[in-house]
Amino acid sequence: MKLSPNKKLDVREVLKNLDQYRPKRKGWTWRKKIANQNIGPFIYKETSENLSNSIPLPAAEYFGNIDPQCDYVITTEIASGRFEDDLRRMRMAAWHGADHIMVIRTTGQSHIDGLIEGTPEGIGGIPVTRKQIRATRKALDAIEEEVGRPINFHSYVSGVAGPEIAVLFAEEGVNGAHQDPQYNVLYRDINMHRSFVDAAESKKIMSDAGILQLDGAHNANATAKEAWKVTPELFVQHAINTAYSRAVGMPAEQIALSTVPPTAPPAPKLRLDLPYAIALRELFTDYKMRAQQNTRYMEADTMETTISHVLDTLISRLTSADIQSTITPDEGRNIPWHYNNVAGVNTARQTLMGLDGLTELVEVKQDEAMRSQVRELKERAVLFLEEIIAQGGYYPAVASGQFVDQGYYPERKGDGIKRDPQSGDGAHTIIVRADDYGAPVCSHFGHNIYHKEEGKSCAAYGGCTLCNPEKIQYIDELDTSDNVHARLQQPLAEREQGLLRPEVEKHGDGVVCVTLFVPESPAVAELAALEMARHMGLKNPEVITRRIMHPAEGSLFEIKGVLDVSVRIKDLPLTAREQPMAEADIEAWVRPRNIHIVAATVGEDEHSVGLHEILDIKHGGIEKYGFVCHNLGTSVPVQQVLQQAQQTGARAVLISTIVTHANVHQQHMRHLHELAKQLGIRQQLILVAGGTQVSDKLARKCGLDAGFGHGTTGQDVASFLVRKLQESETQ
Amino acid sequence: MSSIERPDDFAERREHLQSLSDSELHNYFWELVDQIVAPLIEEARTHTSPSIERSVLLRMGFSSIEAKAIVKQMGERQLLAHGAGHLILELAKANDLSIREAGLGLLDGQYWEQLPS
Repeated sequence: MKLSPNKKLDVREVLKNLDQYRPKRKGWTWRKKIANQNIGPFIYKETSENLSNSIPLPAAEYFGNIDPQCDYVITTEIASGRFEDDLRRMRMAAWHGADHIMVIRTTGQSHIDGLIEGTPEGIGGIPVTRKQIRATRKALDAIEEEVGRPINFHSYVSGVAGPEIAVLFAEEGVNGAHQDPQYNVLYRDINMHRSFVDAAESKKIMSDAGILQLDGAHNANATAKEAWKVTPELFVQHAINTAYSRAVGMPAEQIALSTVPPTAPPAPKLRLDLPYAIALRELFTDYKMRAQQNTRYMEADTMETTISHVLDTLISRLTSADIQSTITPDEGRNIPWHYNNVAGVNTARQTLMGLDGLTELVEVKQDEAMRSQVRELKERAVLFLEEIIAQGGYYPAVASGQFVDQGYYPERKGDGIKRDPQSGDGAHTIIVRADDYGAPVCSHFGHNIYHKEEGKSCAAYGGCTLCNPEKIQYIDELDTSDNVHARLQQPLAEREQGLLRPEVEKHGDGVVCVTLFVPESPAVAELAALEMARHMGLKNPEVITRRIMHPAEGSLFEIKGVLDVSVRIKDLPLTAREQPMAEADIEAWVRPRNIHIVAATVGEDEHSVGLHEILDIKHGGIEKYGFVCHNLGTSVPVQQVLQQAQQTGARAVLISTIVTHANVHQQHMRHLHELAKQLGIRQQLILVAGGTQVSDKLARKCGLDAGFGHGTTGQDVASFLVRKLQESETQ
Repeated sequence: MSSIERPDDFAERREHLQSLSDSELHNYFWELVDQIVAPLIEEARTHTSPSIERSVLLRMGFSSIEAKAIVKQMGERQLLAHGAGHLILELAKANDLSIREAGLGLLDGQYWEQLPS
């Protein structure tokens, strides 16, 4: 399957011949770091290989549209419930720099004793099945070809079917997975004996398949009310999963700690989070760091969240990270919308590019104050471990409520999570292996009569599925109505008819978000805002953010609702954008003719960048074709521009008008046209305006010959001027 | 025990750690962790579970549905201590069957009498 940047990903193509599909590769891939990389006008200290297709950060247009890629792997978490819609989201995220796609599982899958098959719809995530995993891997294999960088696909090896899911992931080329038996025990109430016994098998399978393991410790600070107080316990949880993994035989480079800076402003974030981040990295020097952005203190305001996440990413750069995980800024208010996955990825990308080379400029003070905080955190963790042992080990300690207590250890609030070692899901299901116990397969942990020092345990029957993938039994669908083929009928029919609907999560969900400020007290303003949304035609309007600007003067609301409207593509006034002339043709015509052009940013307007982009040879502007440009600079009166045109015998005038307050940009355009007429030079001059709010239509309405908006290049302008001049010559 | 409330007695509790150097503290941290993990890993080495056995059968070429049914029936007969995959492999060898034939035969109600009691 091959993707083309201008074509939508075809889910039918993804589903075709899935029973035969094998992943391109297995195991985790890190980015290829390049020190002192020259990209555009800059030399970067901490970047990796560039992408072949991507959408750069918005400001990149001022720097030659460069899109430097940081050296960390960037994660985005995806969960719509329908994998076929998630594929579109994954492609968008990959184009913005994500190369670790974490697929959330549907609610309740942890308690399903066995694998699910087919493509049923999930809630808050997808049911992880072979078909969905294989289809997603197939799509990602094509997306990674399109962007030019391997994409790590990730999900969860937890619940009561961990070993089976681990086998599924190993077979289907999943590259990373959460695996931490403590998560099962503390947050899913799965029996602790079962969790740890299963975990060893899962970890062995993951180790051999090169799957990067993430632990689950970060859940403790997502649960605790005062998250910075569970930091000593976080070290303990990381350590238990790490040591357990090592004991199974997992190599250190496959073990990643899932760590979150625990606080958010207005807490004094760096002062609290930095000593913790440093102590963690000192205790776990051999292991990878998956730095995640904070979710504990996320509210509905996406701007506030974004700023916290920038600070989280700063902590990664000040200490270290191998993976920078991103959180969608809307996670505090709804199931993440797809464009917010892109927003989250861009927060990390923009921050990390801005911080490139930071540690060459600054270093964290390792003075007495810092060292004593780091030491204290470690000592508190050691005391925590001592108490586990004093209680008779891990199981009795969990039973007593040792974990996820809100106290700053050794302080105890007595509110820890208690689990009975003899209860929970899957209690009394582990079985003592008999002396003749055997498992004639690869990647098996523990006592096994087929285990050989040399050769494979599966040799007796020609190899297991990990050696011979053609032995994998593929099940397509089990449910005739709850499956992707049924769900696709409507979207495919609509696409066939050329119908478009807005969406934020699933195909054609119709959800839109509007922002309103209402100048009244909060309660009145909110009711008014909802009523206004109804007047806009939104069904089921719901306030998703409310921010008081002043108790009496007004509040700002973001409201989501369903716009139950579809638009036909064929009814849209689509005008084909004129193809610019070839550069060589432009130059061949312009250079012998000595054509003068006068340009300026007019009015009270100090913006100069846009005009430089169009004029200057070094920005690819029109000078390079041989136009003689007279740039009068910024804040130039229209009159002066025309005087200069007369003096130089210019054939064209280019004005830039960025400021639009009170429609001043339109006034400038009209004034230019009118004044040229009064001076009797309108006929001989081509008048052109450019600016972010200028369109060709608007400029012509104001009397000019053309207008150029956002995204215009020097070639576009030069091409227009040449065609216009050629026209006048033939007349 | 931690289920009771306790004030932050870090200052007294840490006294025995005070004299440790940073690297001694580091090593002590990991010694304690290994001590906690040792019995857990020993339990895993010597025990199996229905999910582990199903995962073995998946690797031997059975579908999830087949693996689930075979392991369930073996569990009911208290046979999993020998390993589901082991029983099927030995059955296949003894009856000159492929692995899948042996496993699917069990699901058809055949060969159970040949398995250890």
